Amino acid sequence: MAERIHFEDDIRRNKLKSFFLIVIIFVFFILVGYLIALALDPSYFFVITIFATIFSLVYIWVGYYYSDKIALASVNARAANRAEHSKFINAAENMALASGLPVPKLYVMNSSEINAFASGRNPENAVICATSGAIEKLDKQELEGVIAHEMSHIANYDIRFMTLTAVLVGMISIIAQMFLRNLWFAGNDDRDSKAGLLIMLAAVIAAILAPIAAQLVSLAISRRREFGADSTAVKFTRYPPGLKKALEKIKREHVEIRETKKFPKAVAPLFISDPFKKKISGLFSTHPPIDVRIEKLGRM
Amino acid sequence: MIWAIWLIIILIALLVVMFIFYYNRFVVLDNRIDNSLAQIDVQLKRRADLVPNLINTVKGYAKHEKGIMTEVTNARKALLGAKDLKGRMKAGSQLQEALKSIFAIAENYPQLKANENFLHLQQELAAIEDKIAYSRQFYTDSILVYNNSVEVFPGAFFAKIFGKKEKPQFNIPTEEKAVPKVEF
Repeated sequence: MAERIHFEDDIRRNKLKSFFLIVIIFVFFILVGYLIALALDPSYFFVITIFATIFSLVYIWVGYYYSDKIALASVNARAANRAEHSKFINAAENMALASGLPVPKLYVMNSSEINAFASGRNPENAVICATSGAIEKLDKQELEGVIAHEMSHIANYDIRFMTLTAVLVGMISIIAQMFLRNLWFAGNDDRDSKAGLLIMLAAVIAAILAPIAAQLVSLAISRRREFGADSTAVKFTRYPPGLKKALEKIKREHVEIRETKKFPKAVAPLFISDPFKKKISGLFSTHPPIDVRIEKLGRM
Repeated sequence: MIWAIWLIIILIALLVVMFIFYYNRFVVLDNRIDNSLAQIDVQLKRRADLVPNLINTVKGYAKHEKGIMTEVTNARKALLGAKDLKGRMKAGSQLQEALKSIFAIAENYPQLKANENFLHLQQELAAIEDKIAYSRQFYTDSILVYNNSVEVFPGAFFAKIFGKKEKPQFNIPTEEKAVPKVEF
């Protein structure tokens, strides 16, 4: 018999795990920079780092600051109104009360698929967007479960956290790429000793592998945060079957219709379930397998 | 000798930082509890505000149910007149009981049951009930977080300095337990 999980313990565990994961990314970052600096010239290290940092910071800052608007515009959502979407608005207001957060701005996008996402840099600027399919097909408890999951992303500052991870991963890739490109032009001047060659080789391998590895770690973090949001959602609703049944409905739907890809791929990590889910899951997905999530909720 | 001085300076700095951290933490947690109570209050008042409208609608169809109507009106008055939140909670649960009887009586008046205004009010009141339940849950959670941070080391140490004590979960009349969940 599976052991029962208390949502508070689970929340703590998930936080701890994602913290460790981000530490891993950071260590990568330092290591790659160090290796490249060894291979080329210590002075390069600073130039590259400063360049990459400024570039990615500006890029990410824009994305982060306007995350809500970008996400909403890219899925073509409209504001929810009380006459039409009272069920959605009530569920969101309930979850705001349960979480002690302000009620986020609410949006609806037209799609028969059950899905929802949250965005915004902090609780004051948060938005939650649900598909019309979700509002239609889910009952009150299920909808509350789904919205509680999205509220949890807001409450746990997941958008901020994932942006930070994206910055780190981005910087690693930029540095690695700059180094690899530099190799073509630099040629080897005075580095023909055996040790120099070995270091160079190690740096090249690191430069190729590090971005991939960093990306994998950041996906692992994303999956951790999803589990975290599930258990925080239970804290808000105190009713695990709500979210569980909603996930089961989503799962059934995925089997029935392998629908066309309506949403831009970049917004995938935001959704409650990955809209691009195919057969492959595991290392390369933003979300944990839905069966595992259902099973975990069943034990809460 | 110098390292000892540095050590002392660092320790003092650490203590000051912790002092500020815990002071602010207790303030935040305290305010959260106050806020959660205020949220309950808001919902209780919203419920009371809907009552006159409901009474008027019901009157049109069920003139003879005077007893239950005065009961509702009185409960509402008690709620509005209560001086503190505790009193309002108590009156609020009485009001909820009385409203329940009104909705039970409505079963005998098909026309009333079909009235759009009545249906709307019924939905509104059900939604408010949910909100009261969730605000209470948040209140209980806030108390738990507060008590945990007062009792757990090293917070407990600072709690003593600031004179913060464990707060009892104050007993709000548990109206919600008796009410069946209504699905529309």
